[in-house]
Amino acid sequence: MWTFLVQGVFQGAVYGLLAVGLVLVYKGTRVFNFAQGEFGSVAAFVTWGLLLHTAVPYLVAFVGGLLAAVAMGLLVERAVVRPLFAASRLILLVATVGVALLAIALTVLAAQPQARVLPPAVAGEPITVAGASVLPQQILVLVALAAVAAGLAGFFRTDLGLAVLAVSQDPVATRVVGINPVMLSRVIWGLAAGLGGLAGLLQAPVGIFTPGFMTATTLLPAFAAAVLGGMTSLPGAFAGGVAIGVAQNLGIYLLGQQLAVPGAAELTVFGLLLAVLLVRPQGLLGKAA
Amino acid sequence: MALLEVRDLRAGYGSVPVLHGVTLDVEEGSNAVLVGLNGAGKTTTLLALAGLLASESGEIWFDGQRLDGLDARRRVRRGVVLVPEGRRVFPALTVAQNLRLGAWPRRRQRRLVGTALARVHGLFPVLAERRHQLAGTLSGGEQQMLAIGRGLMAGPRLLLVDEASLGLSPKLVAEVFAAVRQINADGVTVLMVEQNAGVLAGADRAFVLQKGRVVFAGAGGDAMQKTLWTAYFGDPLAEPGRR
Repeated sequence: MWTFLVQGVFQGAVYGLLAVGLVLVYKGTRVFNFAQGEFGSVAAFVTWGLLLHTAVPYLVAFVGGLLAAVAMGLLVERAVVRPLFAASRLILLVATVGVALLAIALTVLAAQPQARVLPPAVAGEPITVAGASVLPQQILVLVALAAVAAGLAGFFRTDLGLAVLAVSQDPVATRVVGINPVMLSRVIWGLAAGLGGLAGLLQAPVGIFTPGFMTATTLLPAFAAAVLGGMTSLPGAFAGGVAIGVAQNLGIYLLGQQLAVPGAAELTVFGLLLAVLLVRPQGLLGKAA
Repeated sequence: MALLEVRDLRAGYGSVPVLHGVTLDVEEGSNAVLVGLNGAGKTTTLLALAGLLASESGEIWFDGQRLDGLDARRRVRRGVVLVPEGRRVFPALTVAQNLRLGAWPRRRQRRLVGTALARVHGLFPVLAERRHQLAGTLSGGEQQMLAIGRGLMAGPRLLLVDEASLGLSPKLVAEVFAAVRQINADGVTVLMVEQNAGVLAGADRAFVLQKGRVVFAGAGGDAMQKTLWTAYFGDPLAEPGRR
């Protein structure tokens, strides 16, 4: 069982990374972004395509994937979010679902509906960590999560970072002090998309990946993580991600292995999400709305 | 030429017109007050001047240049700064962070920002004491001081102050008004919207707004009775004492 718990921490790091992007967009623009996972899928496919069709080094392909995710984020912001900004949040939510489905369809067109393999950023045999066998790539995910946490903490001390926090508290007041709301919206979506891209690029090499893989496997646990963390708390999203990863693996072990319940992983995540929404809808670190 | 010249300004919310042609002049260095009943269009006027509400027609001239058509950000850069109704401080940021964001248009001019901060702390010592406190935990009076201080951080030439006295005790109202008078004495032109008639006594100029139009414009102190009469009884010609 210990192995499952340790594996859960590493799996949860990806959820946390994706959840941070969800929270950032939710805080800044009050949008539940169902396209967050596709920033990761698209990034993984762009990097995979660059490696397949060009001779660029891995790092260049990796950065290319990240930039593609950021570009997609900016495009979504310009083409979908801004025109609908005065619309109800429900319409925006549905619009992001549309963006996700469109992105999946376009990836299928471009890369065929097949499972692909992306080489890991750090290769090597599994390492034993606290008694569990872990891929070096998974350790990289955890390191990336810590680096992103530190980077964001630094970012929120800058003027621009403060402005992002401010717009989540009072969008009108940010206009009163002379901050350009369009610029802020771009920063938030670009940053969130970059984080989503990073999550996808780090997750893809852990197994095989298909079009829409981040939406199919990672988006809902990341939502659960964000909700568990309170939806507006960035540290909550990090911690929530790891907690969901651990709980999911615990579920796989207890329900799946011991009791042979099918779909134990999904069951655990949905059960936890429901339980949080029923018992403590403001999340563990969030404030009551 | 006045610092602010507003000509036949019309604005509203969606299909509901509120301002039906507001015309007023504010001289540089003066302390002007806009009074009127609820719904007369006082806040709407300030929002339109600050660029938070698009005007439908009319002209806004500031220091000889057209302002209407510019977004809020550009107006703040030119020195037209709003202290909004209800304070609207950033509740989950500290006092210091709120003030720092107030200086957004000139955030790279560190020395100017430092000078402005010292001035705000001089004007409102409580903001210096509480600089690490979250703005949402301040009292109403302190939040109003923070809202005014945040406005000063931008380096305004014209400060638009919307209902600074709302919800404050008489003692705090006096403090806030004294601070605004000091800001004006330091060279910032002030246009205040007020329900509190006490502010008229010290004003250089007063405008009475009624149903989206300026129905009376006159010197502050002397006009107090007239403006009050107009504001509350509606007919600018039916002054008290005139039979």
